[in-house]
Amino acid sequence: MKKGTVILVVPTALFSIILLYLVLWNAGVSFMNWSLLNPTPSLVGLETFVSVVRQFQFSNSLVHSLELSVSLVAIGNILGILLASLLYFLKSNGARSIFMSIMIYPLAISMAVNGLIWLWLYNINIGIDWVLTKIGLPQFPWLSSTSTMFPSLIVVSVWAYTGIAALFYLAGFMNIDKAVVEAARLDGAGAFKITYKLLVPNSFNSFVISTALLFLFSFRIFSLPFILSGGTTNIFLQTSVLYMYYLFTVEFFSDATAVATIITVIATIVIIPYALIMIRRWIRR
Amino acid sequence: MRPVIKASLHYLALAVVSVLWLIPVYAMVINGFKSDLEVSSTPVLVPPTQFSIGAYVSVFGSLAKPLLNSLIIVIPTSFIAAFLGAMGAYFFYTLSYSYSRFSSTLSDVLFSLIALATFIPYQATLIPLTRLIVDMGLLDTYAGIIFAMLIFYIPTGALLMSMFISVLPRSLVEAAKIDGTGDLKIFLKIVFPLSMPGFISTLIFIIIQSWNNFFIPLVLVTTPEMKLISVAVEAYTGGYGTLYNDTFAAAMLASIIPLAIFIFLGRYFIRGLIALGGGGKGV
Repeated sequence: MKKGTVILVVPTALFSIILLYLVLWNAGVSFMNWSLLNPTPSLVGLETFVSVVRQFQFSNSLVHSLELSVSLVAIGNILGILLASLLYFLKSNGARSIFMSIMIYPLAISMAVNGLIWLWLYNINIGIDWVLTKIGLPQFPWLSSTSTMFPSLIVVSVWAYTGIAALFYLAGFMNIDKAVVEAARLDGAGAFKITYKLLVPNSFNSFVISTALLFLFSFRIFSLPFILSGGTTNIFLQTSVLYMYYLFTVEFFSDATAVATIITVIATIVIIPYALIMIRRWIRR
Repeated sequence: MRPVIKASLHYLALAVVSVLWLIPVYAMVINGFKSDLEVSSTPVLVPPTQFSIGAYVSVFGSLAKPLLNSLIIVIPTSFIAAFLGAMGAYFFYTLSYSYSRFSSTLSDVLFSLIALATFIPYQATLIPLTRLIVDMGLLDTYAGIIFAMLIFYIPTGALLMSMFISVLPRSLVEAAKIDGTGDLKIFLKIVFPLSMPGFISTLIFIIIQSWNNFFIPLVLVTTPEMKLISVAVEAYTGGYGTLYNDTFAAAMLASIIPLAIFIFLGRYFIRGLIALGGGGKGV
């Protein structure tokens, strides 16, 4: 390999290696006992992990993160298929791209701003509930009841991320040979039948991509629950990344790195196989 | 069912979804223009009777500096990340020429790394990242925030550009190779100009991502002077009894740039998203 060729990859490789260094450094500290109370850390093996895993807040926040991800993956995929099929059968390309943009636009706004907006929409006096009471429906408590707080977070996430699933299903549907769809239509198959007999079964790639991206994005949502709950300590909205940041702010550094290591491992289990599938499909053709 | 009814139902379903999806942005646009008086008497989904820019005037003073800070961070971050990422992406492209065991292992390892950097919950690197930036003496500096963002966005740039460059015809590069042109020169003279639409997609994707990044500026900025817009809006969370026109005006100021980019260049952003998922044919 020539020198000129290698220079090309130096910046990317350098910054990727810095990232790897950060991840490994983080993992290293999680085997120590560094905290505000103990400024000179020493190796303690798995002790930090054992004590962290026993905390109520750890399992509580991890369950929240997984619940959020699983809900978003399930709802996002179902809504994504529905919306993509509605878009697929549109005759006008212009209309299709306008509707698609409307479903994607939440991603152009920061999650912190989305959080600010939804805080007011969830206000039980002047938000969505005002409309509900006007048309004679009962008020929904949204963020003011502990049992509806978490579902309210899921609603915002679904609003923000479903567009991704719709986009990838639509791209998958568009890749299916038009001639086959036309033949099915001539045979008298309706739109509904074409969708579930022909489009969906041939969109396995879209399913893999939507599932992986929805999982990874929802697993790292930070600012949305941070803004909706006004900080890191609301145990009904606390996700793993929030709990980790909370441990950092109270200076339990090793505990924070242990939680971070667990988060990284869970995400990596999804990322690496996904990356290797992608590379085989797209880079080496 | 008659075709006319079918078509109307089809559009009706999409219209209902669109209305639901647009409620938050509708609330953001109308409520920033309410006067303080009207805020106390109207709910958030009712438009103002009078148009007032009072809320914008009152929040602009404290958001002008954060807006400027964000511009100073986002412009170099996105250009550097997209360009250096494109270079890395062309390297992957050249690796796929040789089918040796070594180069395929190398490309697997590097590609896994850039995917890790792109998709990792970056909050998980909080402590080492903060420490690295502090040790470099870059806490509360533009350079520190840009450096931290590049750690994540150069790999993102490389990942997206790999998808765009992989669709370029091999023959173009082959011809230049036979002429004895070096890869660096091929990249600058042939590959980069040809992948300009992909570069714009990558650039816009990174601009929007870094503009909206909340966590990195949250932990790497400790003085109010250096706050970025994404974090500065947090001050307007309010609560019951506060005036919401300020919240929405602040939200609008923080979103106006990414939203404008999305409205005018949305197709590039969407192509960037598709590339993030692993490409679609001819993205």
